[in-house]
Amino acid sequence: MIATIVDTQALGRSVVAAIASGVGVTLIFALTLWSASRWIESQREGRGALAAAFAGLAIAGLAAFAAAVALGIVVMTHKS
Amino acid sequence: MHSDLILVIVVATALAFDFTNGFHDTANVVATSISTRAMAPRLAVGYAALLNFAGAFISLAVAATVASDVVASGAITPTVVFAGLVGAIAWNLVTWYFGLPSSSSHALIGGVVGAAFAAAGADAVLAAGVVGKVLVPALVAPTVAFVVGAIAIWICYRVLGRERPGIVNRGFRIGQVVSGGMLALAHGTNDAQKTMGVITLALVTNGNLAEGSDPPTWVIVSAATAIALGTYIGGWRIIRTMGTRIIKMDTAQGFSAQGAGAAVILASSHYGFPLSTTHVISGGVMGAGAGRRVSAVRWGVAGNIVLAWLLTLPAAAAIGAAAYGFTRIFGTGAAGPVILAAAGLCLVTLAFVRRLRAGAPVPA
Repeated sequence: MIATIVDTQALGRSVVAAIASGVGVTLIFALTLWSASRWIESQREGRGALAAAFAGLAIAGLAAFAAAVALGIVVMTHKS
Repeated sequence: MHSDLILVIVVATALAFDFTNGFHDTANVVATSISTRAMAPRLAVGYAALLNFAGAFISLAVAATVASDVVASGAITPTVVFAGLVGAIAWNLVTWYFGLPSSSSHALIGGVVGAAFAAAGADAVLAAGVVGKVLVPALVAPTVAFVVGAIAIWICYRVLGRERPGIVNRGFRIGQVVSGGMLALAHGTNDAQKTMGVITLALVTNGNLAEGSDPPTWVIVSAATAIALGTYIGGWRIIRTMGTRIIKMDTAQGFSAQGAGAAVILASSHYGFPLSTTHVISGGVMGAGAGRRVSAVRWGVAGNIVLAWLLTLPAAAAIGAAAYGFTRIFGTGAAGPVILAAAGLCLVTLAFVRRLRAGAPVPA
């Protein structure tokens, strides 16, 4: 009954995409902050190579977060 | 002449609804940013107003589909649309008065359904559309957002629990500015469209526009301005409920709730299943609280919010039906809508003055 009234396929896809994107973006952002925090700590402790590695990870995370935001704007402009 | 007067009243009422929509739903976008001090209150509502304005211009895809799946098109007349808007505005103001975040879109749909029911009987209401487009999404939206918010805060605490709070808090505050901006933009693309749709529908039924026309530029600009103005004025009572009364929020919870909300809204929009911004953010806030500790959520406040959601459709429908019935007392001309609009304006002005005198919280 409900299946004939509700577009269950769109609903299912929406739920999966919402959970995946919500969890994914949060994970990326949390890892970015973790890397930035470790970077500062490593610098303070004078471990240059490790600091550089964490800096790279933080920048990559930031880029991924920016890409997710850009994707969100594209989704908004292409609503059907 | 009569029909032109009704059209003017419908346009003015639609813009008034748009204003209450911005005013009422500001809370969804900025409450968590304000409560975690990611942004100063005035700056936050100004930022949200600007992005709501911009969002109204981004996409016109849903502008002509308001209530089209829940009410038979033959039952929609300018007076039905007017009565429906009265129902939606009245319910928005009631829930604002009690500081309860409820869906403006559901209020609009409820108002139009009630007015159409009063005008043309039960056959005018498409029950399958009400279930499929309103009731099921109303259940799914907060549930999904709750789950995403709870998982998101668990991840944040797991990954960052042992880090120094200084950089972490600053980072989450920056994240909240971005996620709040996404929410404001998404709100503008969804909700300003509904007003454009209502005005366009009224212009088409009055013969001023051909069927299937896009909204004229003045409609787009005025709808964008009304929602942005309402957002800037801000519904501080609802902001307080969303920001501090459901849970006492830290920066990680604020980011989790807003990030979860933005992701859920955009993902569902992408797959053609748009969900209520209000329901999503409220669910995200509760999830971000419960993900830390179930008892951290003030379930009494949450219960009141859910009750307001459940009542939105029938209450707005009842007011919409009553408004339609009232206008018919004065015949089919413009007299009924004119008298009702004037009476409504007086009541709203009185309520605002009383509320402001009572000292509604307006942060600097």
